[in-house]
Amino acid sequence: MSLSVRPILSALMRNRTGAVLVAMQVAIALAVLVNALYIVVQRIEKMQRPLGIDVDNIFVVQASGFTDRYDQTSSMREDIDYLRSLPGVVAASPSNGIPLSGSGSATTLTAHPGVHSTDGFNYYEVDEQGLDALGVRLVAGRNFRHGDIEPSRAKNDASSFVSNVILSRATALRLFGQDDPLGKAVYDDLGQSATVVGIVDPVIGAWVGDRHPDWVMFMSRLPSGRYGAVRYLVRTRPGARDAAMQQAESHLSRSNPDRVITFVRTLNYFRDLSYLGDRSMGIYLLTVTLLMVAVTCLGIFALATFNVTTRTRQIGTRRAVGARRADIVQYFLVENGLITTAGVVGGCALALATGYWLSIQYELPRLNLYFLVGGVLLLWGIGQLAALQPARRAATVPPSVATRNV
Amino acid sequence: MLKMQDVSKVYRTDLIETYALREFSLEVSAGEFVAITGPSGSGKTTFLNVAGLLENFETGSYRIDGTDVRGLSDDQRSRLRNERIGFIFQSFNLIPDLNIYDNVDVPLRYRRLSTRERHERIGSALDLVGLSSRMKHMPSQLSGGQQQRVAIARAIAGDPAFLLADEPTGNLDSLMARQVMELLEQINELGTTILLVTHDPELARRAQRNVHLVDGQISDFRTYEPRAAPDAGLAHA
Repeated sequence: MSLSVRPILSALMRNRTGAVLVAMQVAIALAVLVNALYIVVQRIEKMQRPLGIDVDNIFVVQASGFTDRYDQTSSMREDIDYLRSLPGVVAASPSNGIPLSGSGSATTLTAHPGVHSTDGFNYYEVDEQGLDALGVRLVAGRNFRHGDIEPSRAKNDASSFVSNVILSRATALRLFGQDDPLGKAVYDDLGQSATVVGIVDPVIGAWVGDRHPDWVMFMSRLPSGRYGAVRYLVRTRPGARDAAMQQAESHLSRSNPDRVITFVRTLNYFRDLSYLGDRSMGIYLLTVTLLMVAVTCLGIFALATFNVTTRTRQIGTRRAVGARRADIVQYFLVENGLITTAGVVGGCALALATGYWLSIQYELPRLNLYFLVGGVLLLWGIGQLAALQPARRAATVPPSVATRNV
Repeated sequence: MLKMQDVSKVYRTDLIETYALREFSLEVSAGEFVAITGPSGSGKTTFLNVAGLLENFETGSYRIDGTDVRGLSDDQRSRLRNERIGFIFQSFNLIPDLNIYDNVDVPLRYRRLSTRERHERIGSALDLVGLSSRMKHMPSQLSGGQQQRVAIARAIAGDPAFLLADEPTGNLDSLMARQVMELLEQINELGTTILLVTHDPELARRAQRNVHLVDGQISDFRTYEPRAAPDAGLAHA
C-alpha cells in the first residue's frame, strides 16, 4: 500500500474537528441503526410467527341480544345451524373470544390443586367444531365430541369448571413439562378440575402482545355471552369466505328481531388491527433509521467534499510528484475509512450500552451481536460509498494545478 | 535527456485560441543548468508543465531519455514524473498537515520503496539541504527559505534525472533566494540537470544557458561561462 495509514492519520489529527464530528455522527447512527433494526426484526418475527389458525379463510360474527325476549341458547343454536349450512363453510362454532383480536378471556391454571399460580392462560369456550372452525391442528388425543359440550355458564358464575379441555402444546409444557398431559387433570383457581383430552399445536390466543400468546386452552362449553354478545367463528373453503360472509350478514341481520349483528368481519381484519402497532412502529423506526443513516452519509460526503475542495493544490502537488489517480482515490478513502472506523468503534460501545438500557427499561431481549457486526459492516460500507464520489472527483484534479499561483 | 521538437500547446475557449507554446524546440543534455526566462504570458509555466508531464501538448514530439511521452497513459506519466522528474514550486507546495520528514516522504511512498530505503533517502536529502535536525517540524514552523529547501529535498530525494524549478526564489527575500540558488547550483554540480523558470535576469545569468521565450517561442539563446564554485558551505536560514 503506497499510502500507509500513519501520515494520513497524523494529518487527520491536525484537523480533527470535522472528523470528530462526523465520527460521532457515525457512532450515533450505528447505535440507532443496530438497535432499531433489532427491534424491527423482533416485530417482524412476532408478526410472522406461526399462528396455527387458518386466518385467511375465517370470518367472525358477533351478535348481541337487546330485548327481554332474546333467548341466547336457542338463538345461538339457530345461528350456528344456519352458518354451518352455508355453501363453502367447513366448520362453525360459538366462541367467547376471537383469536388475534385483543378480546378474549383468561384464567389461571395449575397441574396440582391448591397450588397458587399467576400464570394466565387464554381460553376459548367452543363446541365440537371449535378446533375445525379455527383450522387448528390436533397433535395428540382427541377433539371434543358433541356429548362433551356443556351448556353456557350462567352470567357472572365462576363456580364451575368444565369436564374436558384441550391444551396448546405450550400450555401443556408449562403445566406438565415433558410428562404426557393426556388424561391428566388441570385445576382452575377454585381448585376445580378438568381432564386434558387433546393437544393442539401451534395456536395463538387473543392477545398478540402477551409474553406467552400461545398459552391457550379450549374448553368444551358454549360461551356464556357475557355482556350480551355471542361470537361465531366460521371457517370456509379457500375462496368461499367473502360470499359466505355476505350471506351470513344478510340473513342473520334479519332472522331474529331480538338481537343485532354487531359486526361480521374477517379474522384478517383483527390480525391486521392487532399488529398495526408493530407494523407502524417498524415503519417508523425504519424511516427514522434510514433518515439518520442518510444524514450520516451526507455528513461523510460533505466532509470529504470539503477536504477535496480545500486541498486542490495539495492534490495537484501529489499528482505532480507521482501520485496516480488511484493513489488519490485511495488517500481519501483511507482517510474516510479512519474516520468511519473511529465512529463505528465508538458506535459499538454506544449500541451495546443503548441495547442494555432498552433491555432493562422495556424488557427487550439483549442486543444480538450479529446485528452489531452487520451494522458495523453496513455503515462502514455505506460510509466508504459516500466518500467515493468526492474521492473520484479529487482524482480528476490535474497535476498542473501544482504550478498555478492563485 | 530532454528533447522537444516543434511542440505546440494551445488553450482554446469558444472565441479564441491562444498558443502558449508555438513550434517550440529545445534540447537539454544531462547535467545542464538551463534558465527559462521571458515576460509574463510568454509560455514559461506552460513549458514547465509540458516538460514536467503535468500537461499534454497538441503537436510536436517530446522525448525524455529517448522515451516518446506522447503515447503514455496517465499512470505511465505519473510514474515517469515520480522517477525521473523533481519539481520545485514557487509557493513550495508543502503539505501543511505533514511534518518535514513526511513531506519529503510523499513522492517516495508513491514509488513504493521500502521503509528503510525511504528513510535513508529522506535523511540524505534533508542533510543536503541542511534541515536534518528539523525532521519533526511542521512547515509552518519554518521560514520561507527553509520551506523551499524542504521542497528541494522532496524533489531530489527520489534521485530524479532532472529538476524543474518554477520561480523557486519568487517568494523569498534576496538572502534566502541566494541560498536557494546556491543549493540548486550545488545539486547541479552533483550531476542533476536543472531547468529553472525565472523572471530574474541575475538568477538566469547563473545558469549555463538562458532560453528566452516570447509568445510561446524562443526568441533568444544565450550561453554563459561556467560559474565559479560557490563559496564554501551553504548558509542556513
